[in-house]
Amino acid sequence: MLCQNCGSSEATTHIKRIVNGEATEIHLCYNCAEHLGYANMFSGFGFNISNMLLNFFPEFTRALPTADNSERCPTCGTSFEEVVRSGMMGCADCYAAFYDKLRPSLSRIHGRATHVGKSGKNQITSTESPRLEDTLSKLKEELKSAVDTQNFELAAKLRDEINAIEGGAE
Amino acid sequence: MSKWYQLQGAENDVAISTKVAMARNVKGYNFTVKLTADEKYEIADKIDEILDKKLNGKFATTPMNEVGRDLQISLAERGLVSPEFISYAEGRTMIMTEDESLSIMVCEEDHLKIQAFLPGLELEKTFELADTLDNVLDEDLEFSFDKKLGYLTQCPTNIGTAMRASVTLQLPALSMRGQIPRLSGTVSKLGLVLTGAYGEADNPVGSLFQLSNQVTLGISEQAAIENLKSISLSIIEQERELRKELMNNLKFQDILWRSYGTLKNARVISFGEFMEAMAVVKIGVAAGEINIPNDKLNELIFTMQPATLNVEHGKSLDRQLRDSKRAEAIREVFA
Repeated sequence: MLCQNCGSSEATTHIKRIVNGEATEIHLCYNCAEHLGYANMFSGFGFNISNMLLNFFPEFTRALPTADNSERCPTCGTSFEEVVRSGMMGCADCYAAFYDKLRPSLSRIHGRATHVGKSGKNQITSTESPRLEDTLSKLKEELKSAVDTQNFELAAKLRDEINAIEGGAE
Repeated sequence: MSKWYQLQGAENDVAISTKVAMARNVKGYNFTVKLTADEKYEIADKIDEILDKKLNGKFATTPMNEVGRDLQISLAERGLVSPEFISYAEGRTMIMTEDESLSIMVCEEDHLKIQAFLPGLELEKTFELADTLDNVLDEDLEFSFDKKLGYLTQCPTNIGTAMRASVTLQLPALSMRGQIPRLSGTVSKLGLVLTGAYGEADNPVGSLFQLSNQVTLGISEQAAIENLKSISLSIIEQERELRKELMNNLKFQDILWRSYGTLKNARVISFGEFMEAMAVVKIGVAAGEINIPNDKLNELIFTMQPATLNVEHGKSLDRQLRDSKRAEAIREVFA
């Protein structure tokens, strides 16, 4: 087998990785393996070979010839085609700009999961308005407990607040 | 000052080290791939300023293009930077504490990779170190974050917690018994990956493996850490059982004492030969037949690597001289 990187020497280093349940294999010759850092014993997590990442975006590579190449992220100007070719986003706003197109691949990599870990102080979202949603669900919980404890005065007040927010959001 | 890997860690007969890394990107900047070198240094300056203000004197900031090649490679040998990070130094900065247990790689794949290291199996403590530094920086920096997708990273495979925790395990007995492929298969079903730290995935030099979490979205940091810890402990137990069994085997005993003889007596030794013999000797140490502390052996994994030896001696040694210096240092531990 020939090296996937240079295509000229015999591949002697075979690397198999499983990333979020997806097995990927790469075959490199000694020189390329060393050059790309695989000969190092404490190699990090960075696994940044663009053609490998294309494996994560099979639906895009097939769709490429017909993809609308003029579509670009308004913040950094990266086109969707660039994202697919490099496997890298240009900036944080690319996630919002290309969210719908990314969704199939994101669920291939990560399943249907949404974030449940730490968030620090910055809960600003680019795909929806979290603060409003947070406030709403909090108010609804309070409303439920107010009803449960038969505190109807508070419940009425909370209901009005919820209506105001929901009405404003429509 | 001692480096983190010169200290004693828990379960260090099998567990060499624990690492927790978190990727973060600063809001208002494009991702690293779209940044100029000046913008990259601007980000490093911001971090430097915050750390200076809040944790004055704890961290040293080093632009990678101001560091000699041997030191660059030595940092990679010891897992502090990725090989990719030193392949191109311009725009890249390393910020780390003197004992190197806590560091930030600036503008590798993401703007920040916050990293914590401790010897042995110390997942909670290592996580706490990285988490604390992340919180300190979070007070003054705004990180790119999305409620559904979590921390946003340059590569979509890392979004969510953007955290990778890993434990380096030395598994000579499981390797000799051909158990690694079975283990790899099992852990991958549990959201983890077991991979050779160096060389072939199933048969790495010195039987050194890295077990790390792969899932970053839909699992909290604590759950990922807990999961990794319980599976690490289970692998450690399996390794210990097999080590005991091997000690009853005459053929293995022969390999063990020959390996011991090599380390005790060699005058010239390569890093690879050292690692192979040392992995075997660990089994004799576990059985109490060889009396050398595990932490001393583990430390050698870091200090005996080629560029790290060069840095230690202050110059690039030619191969033979380096192999003899290595043999000398090992003989001291085995004396």
